[in-house]
Amino acid sequence: MRLPRDTGAAVVFLSPLLILVVGLIAYPFTRAIWLSLTDKLVGYPERFVGLRNYAYLLDDDTFHEVVKNTLVFTAGSLVLKVLTGLAMALVLNGVWRWRNFFRGLFLLPWITSTVIIALTWRWMFDAFPGRGFFNSVLLDAGLLRRPIAFMATPAGAMAAVIVANWWRAFPFFGVSYLAGMQAIPRELYDAASVDGAGTWQRFRHVTLPGLKHVLIVTIVLSFILTINDFNIVYVMTRGGPGTATQVFATYSYEVAFNQLRWGRGVTISIFLVPVMVVAIALVSRYLLRERE
Amino acid sequence: MTVRAFTIIGLVAFLLIVLVPFWWIASMSFKTYEQVQFATSIYVPRPFTWENYTVLWSATRFPLWLRNSVVTAVLVTLITTVVASLAGYAVARLRFPGRELFASLILVLYLVPPALLFIPLYRVLAELGATNSLAALVLSYPTFTVPFCTWLLIGFFKALPRELEEAAFVDGATRAAALTRVLLPLAAPGIVASAIFAFTLSWNEFLYALVFIQDETALTVPVGLNLLIYGDVFSWGQLMAASVITTLPVVALYMFIHRWMVEGLAAGSVKG
Repeated sequence: MRLPRDTGAAVVFLSPLLILVVGLIAYPFTRAIWLSLTDKLVGYPERFVGLRNYAYLLDDDTFHEVVKNTLVFTAGSLVLKVLTGLAMALVLNGVWRWRNFFRGLFLLPWITSTVIIALTWRWMFDAFPGRGFFNSVLLDAGLLRRPIAFMATPAGAMAAVIVANWWRAFPFFGVSYLAGMQAIPRELYDAASVDGAGTWQRFRHVTLPGLKHVLIVTIVLSFILTINDFNIVYVMTRGGPGTATQVFATYSYEVAFNQLRWGRGVTISIFLVPVMVVAIALVSRYLLRERE
Repeated sequence: MTVRAFTIIGLVAFLLIVLVPFWWIASMSFKTYEQVQFATSIYVPRPFTWENYTVLWSATRFPLWLRNSVVTAVLVTLITTVVASLAGYAVARLRFPGRELFASLILVLYLVPPALLFIPLYRVLAELGATNSLAALVLSYPTFTVPFCTWLLIGFFKALPRELEEAAFVDGATRAAALTRVLLPLAAPGIVASAIFAFTLSWNEFLYALVFIQDETALTVPVGLNLLIYGDVFSWGQLMAASVITTLPVVALYMFIHRWMVEGLAAGSVKG
């Protein structure tokens, strides 16, 4: 078999990427699998323990709570992102002047460091020092008598991390949906109007079906990122109060770097691998088809 | 009429949602410690002070962290741009076995979450003797910037007209000459945009920097910020001043590529 004439050049061009991928992604990943099968404690040599880490976690109450928290966090912020993203796209679609300016402005949260976002929202929700933003507004509006420590209750802390995660990512959804809406042919709307469709029916039967593709891509991409989120939860709550906002990535960090149990810490993140494989396969199919 | 009313109300609502947190950061950065602690002049700093900025600059390690962030981001951007441009070009243009597989592989790699790799990567870097220095970050950040930028650049190179390179080949140019003289100038906007993405991703990164570096003098800004919190005492004024200083360069860079970035986003090619 004769190889195509570019094969030599391709090897040269792709070798830096390949070295990086093999050395710093594939090799660490195999190490992760191996570590999850050991009882590695920092400072001690690792011993092979088979699936004991997996069995331990399946039986661990904290881990059960972590799974539940991660699901609530991911589902809650995804629902908010999709709804506000759609609203933002509809609003921008109706703007008749300066649309690019507003679109750029609304994207600002998305380029800001998540650590800064988390610190800022933590303070906005806080009761002290000097009352956070929400307490200040509610007190000044006469709706509260005393400041509420939102972040001190499990439900309040969960709501706060969801809001911060939502705020960072919803502009991405809005901009994607706006582009999707602008790609829907005008004639479809005209035809629907001729058939007597009202505003809601045009949205329901023309806009939403036209956005199906971009809806799936944004939801799956954001699902992958949110279910693995570390920064927002770590900076805002450290997983607390108690374990009320502990999610996969923060719990894995806690077990590996505070309890120094590396084997078990790695195993926590490996539980997400099957979910990731399904999500990545799904979204790649859509994104690769787009490139054809 | 109702559509127009909806638009105006919606626009105001989204402006408030987006701008209130930024205004909170900026306004707090100009307040004294007492103004923050005792909740005086909550919404607008009165009196207005630069105290936090001067303290941050002269009495904390912030300038050092800023320097570390700049060094890391610049090196990561350089490495990423070279590796991703070569790979992006190869996948977009060259004919070789397994090309399609490569395109899929790069996409999959760009979706692999850092939360999965930080523990084993720490071990690998420790064995290389790279932990506790910026080398750890310069080595590990390309694991997410390179797949991401390669994916962007594949799309970008594919969109460039093939005829120009072919004309150069016909005129007897070598591949190297065709690449540097013909393709590179055309590809410059895409390469600059991908470099800005690499810079931003590196600038904002937190998890790897937190895990791989313990030495306070080798920290980057995102991790350093957490050291301005002493136990339960938050130096909020300084934190917010640091946030302003850290956010401005990214906003400035982003104004350059906003239009291009929106198109990239629209193609679903950007993480969110």
